[in-house]
Amino acid sequence: MKKLTLNLITPEKQLIKEMPVDMVILPALLGEMGILPGHVKTIVQLGMGSLRYKADGKEEEFAALGGFVEVLNDVVNVFAESAALAGEIDEEKEKQRIKALKESLSNKDADIDFELAELEIKQAIARMKVKKKHL
Amino acid sequence: MESLRDIRQNIKAIKSTQQIMQTMKMISNARIKKAQEAMVAARPFAQKMLEMVDDLKQDILALPQPDDGSETWAGRIFVNRTGDANKVGLIVITGDKGLTGSFNAVVLRSALAFLRENKDKKIFVFAIGKKGRDFLNRLKMPNLHLVYESVGIFPKVSYVHADLLGDAVLKTFMQEKLGSVALIYNDFKSLASQTLRQTQWLPFDFDQVQKEKEESDFEFEPGMLEIFKILVPRLMKANLYRVLLESQAANLAATMNAMDAASKNAGELVTALGVKLNKVRQAGITNEILDIVNGAEALNN
Repeated sequence: MKKLTLNLITPEKQLIKEMPVDMVILPALLGEMGILPGHVKTIVQLGMGSLRYKADGKEEEFAALGGFVEVLNDVVNVFAESAALAGEIDEEKEKQRIKALKESLSNKDADIDFELAELEIKQAIARMKVKKKHL
Repeated sequence: MESLRDIRQNIKAIKSTQQIMQTMKMISNARIKKAQEAMVAARPFAQKMLEMVDDLKQDILALPQPDDGSETWAGRIFVNRTGDANKVGLIVITGDKGLTGSFNAVVLRSALAFLRENKDKKIFVFAIGKKGRDFLNRLKMPNLHLVYESVGIFPKVSYVHADLLGDAVLKTFMQEKLGSVALIYNDFKSLASQTLRQTQWLPFDFDQVQKEKEESDFEFEPGMLEIFKILVPRLMKANLYRVLLESQAANLAATMNAMDAASKNAGELVTALGVKLNKVRQAGITNEILDIVNGAEALNN
């Protein structure tokens, strides 16, 4: 059977490099989207959510947060703003991060970037969601 | 002739300078590893993203343009039919400090050549690094506008810096209707050498990526234009980030090499002065012996 080649790259590092997989499920902006070998050429904008791939009956799940995906000739390039392996997400840490961010948001004098803080809260929530489903 | 004391002082001064140079070398050496790792890690994202946009080339060039002579946002970025050829942009990336050999000088020299070439045009400059900014400020060319500057970011470049720079460049490019934007920086080649790079930054240069096959007819989700509005700034910033990291690593490597060469030179100087010191001392002793022998001879006679 034909396979897909998966690359998962974030600005910080390349998490997956040229891995042969059977199927990729993406958290596209307008809903989840499954990619199988032979998919048409596509550019997709990513939302925040769960990115999964299946290879040899095994399934692995990531929390992918924003970015783009290019599907071309059975190569899937995922450019995620941030990505974390679902099993490695620490719920307690995320909760604390949200708490700290919310506190600094409610503090009027704090010198922070509001858009960035809001984005970070959204990302933390998305990571927690993926983690919960994963269990 | 120099006295013994002068030479000894000279040697002492050189030795302490050498110590400083060796320390600077060691500091750069320690930092460069981190800088190199950050650079290598950021490369695939920027590179693959360039390749992706290159895959889209046919679709982008086939984009419908308004008939009234105006241009869409994506059109400005990729074709720039309506840009004003008499307005150009220039991004100059230098280091913050000297003592880096020719690192800053090569960038500034080619920046100056660029400014001379475009001396009849309005030039909008984005300066990264103190050396470049100071140099451009000193020029006092009436057609030169320093629109953005960022100093003191090395050796702690983060994505935020690329984000700010990218926003400034895109904003100026759109508002002032620049004809093109050039970028001059040092690329990290190896620990021993840096290469000067001068590239066209905007409108997007498709020839950056070598590809054999041309692709077209992609499907876009959501729409193509919506994606471009987000994708293009992201691509620009990812690449600016890569360029900043390259420049940072190159800067550290240049410091290391310059300091290494300088401390070697200092070592040679110390050896040479040591020989001279011994000669002068020996000459002094010989003179004294001669004096004593002469004196004794005179007494005997």
